[in-house]
Amino acid sequence: MRNIVEIKGLSKSYFNKKALNNLALNIEEGKVVGILGPNGSGKTTLIKILTGILRETKGEVLIDGHEPGVYTKSIVSYLPDRNFLYNWMTIQDALSFYKDFYKDFNEKRAYELLDFMKLKRDMKVTSLSKGMTEKLNLTLVLSRNAKLYILDEPIAGVDPVARDQILDAIINNYNENSSMIITTHLVRDMENIFDDVVFLREGEVYLTGNAETLREEKGMQIDELYKEIFGE
Amino acid sequence: MGKYIKYEIKGSYKVILGILAIVLIASTVIQVNVRTGGFDGSRFPLVAFLFSLTIFGTFLTAFLFIVGSFRKELYEDRGYLTFTLPLTGNQIVGGKLIVAIMWFIVLGFVTLLYNIFLAKILFDIYLPFKEMFDVFNTFSKEAITFIITAFIGGVITLILIYFSMALSRVSIRNKKIGGLWFIIFLILNALVAYFNVKINGLIPYYLNLNTLEITHLKGLEYLPNITMNMNGASITMGTGEGAFIGIAGMIYNLVVGIVAFLGTGYIIENKIDL
Repeated sequence: MRNIVEIKGLSKSYFNKKALNNLALNIEEGKVVGILGPNGSGKTTLIKILTGILRETKGEVLIDGHEPGVYTKSIVSYLPDRNFLYNWMTIQDALSFYKDFYKDFNEKRAYELLDFMKLKRDMKVTSLSKGMTEKLNLTLVLSRNAKLYILDEPIAGVDPVARDQILDAIINNYNENSSMIITTHLVRDMENIFDDVVFLREGEVYLTGNAETLREEKGMQIDELYKEIFGE
Repeated sequence: MGKYIKYEIKGSYKVILGILAIVLIASTVIQVNVRTGGFDGSRFPLVAFLFSLTIFGTFLTAFLFIVGSFRKELYEDRGYLTFTLPLTGNQIVGGKLIVAIMWFIVLGFVTLLYNIFLAKILFDIYLPFKEMFDVFNTFSKEAITFIITAFIGGVITLILIYFSMALSRVSIRNKKIGGLWFIIFLILNALVAYFNVKINGLIPYYLNLNTLEITHLKGLEYLPNITMNMNGASITMGTGEGAFIGIAGMIYNLVVGIVAFLGTGYIIENKIDL
């Protein structure tokens, strides 16, 4: 199977601190990959490099055969771990914005998802609660027919009801020709949707593999494995 | 880039309209006050003075708002949306620049025209529009040169401000130091002006815009000159003799503007670390 993401010898240093250290990783097309690790393990740094808003110190990153840039931004649908929409926007403005900038935006799906998330189009983005903001951001990101989805901590800080709704939306709207990278430290809630998992520790890949195979080999759930690796 | 401009306008027009409303109300108060308080200049009313300050303050706010919108992209979470759009760095800087220029022109022209027409109504002043345009025609080349030079100077200043902001963002990583961009801007501006003077001194040829002749500085020394260096060009205006532009300085300034623009685009496309 073809790789949608190819990473070789990737390092990122901040002064004397290494956020990523000679990381190598390939992600196959059509897979949902969980990048797992505690805070400070390099998850967000890796994702920022993939989305073109952070530069590597060393190494090579290719997405669909291209270095991060204008082309990769047009095929990657990115959910950052923060409120990234402009403050003046209503939900409708945000939808129009996505429609204008991304050719792969599916407006019909966006309206269906808004209904599913119980969000109204005339709401201002500044008036939304944390859970609602997360749902709106996810609606926008999942409404694109992107080749690669990158979701950074999609369920962090939202209540359990919203969490289930968000997970359902991810499962129902994911299309099999696309790939998805999800970072999380809430492994138990998300482990069932991963095909592959990558455990990151201090900027390096500690363990990687097919989620099901790992469960069989180690005789435990991914969540338990996570605790074993990082719980020392 | 058109779409980006559209959303830039959408995001800022309410503030600009608010600023315009304040300026127009303040202008009206000043003019009405002068009308009722005496027009002989002996006692310029305090109210008018205070409202003049209000207008100045409002324009300053507008300037900081418009220029600061670029800085917000670099330091606030909205950058995660802007810098992941499938746009080049030049398209983003270009869009910001065009909208900024547009707002400055709108604010300037609306304020000017409103005040002229209000003065005409309140004071029943005869506005010699025809004569004004005749005068404009007589000195048209000087006037047009002046306007174009001021415009280019303004645009280059804006580009240098954006460039300074982008430089300050990548120079000290992840540290937000409030006025750093302004210090960088002052230094850059001083350097640009210094080399402009030097270059005009080294190659002292001026273009006469009336005759399109190129003259050495020595040929202009008889003129009662007003020489201005407006960051856009070295321009020399002799009364009735036409306008002279320092050729080397003008080319140099255009090059500085283009380099700073491309530099800003390059930084936000290739060097930004959010």
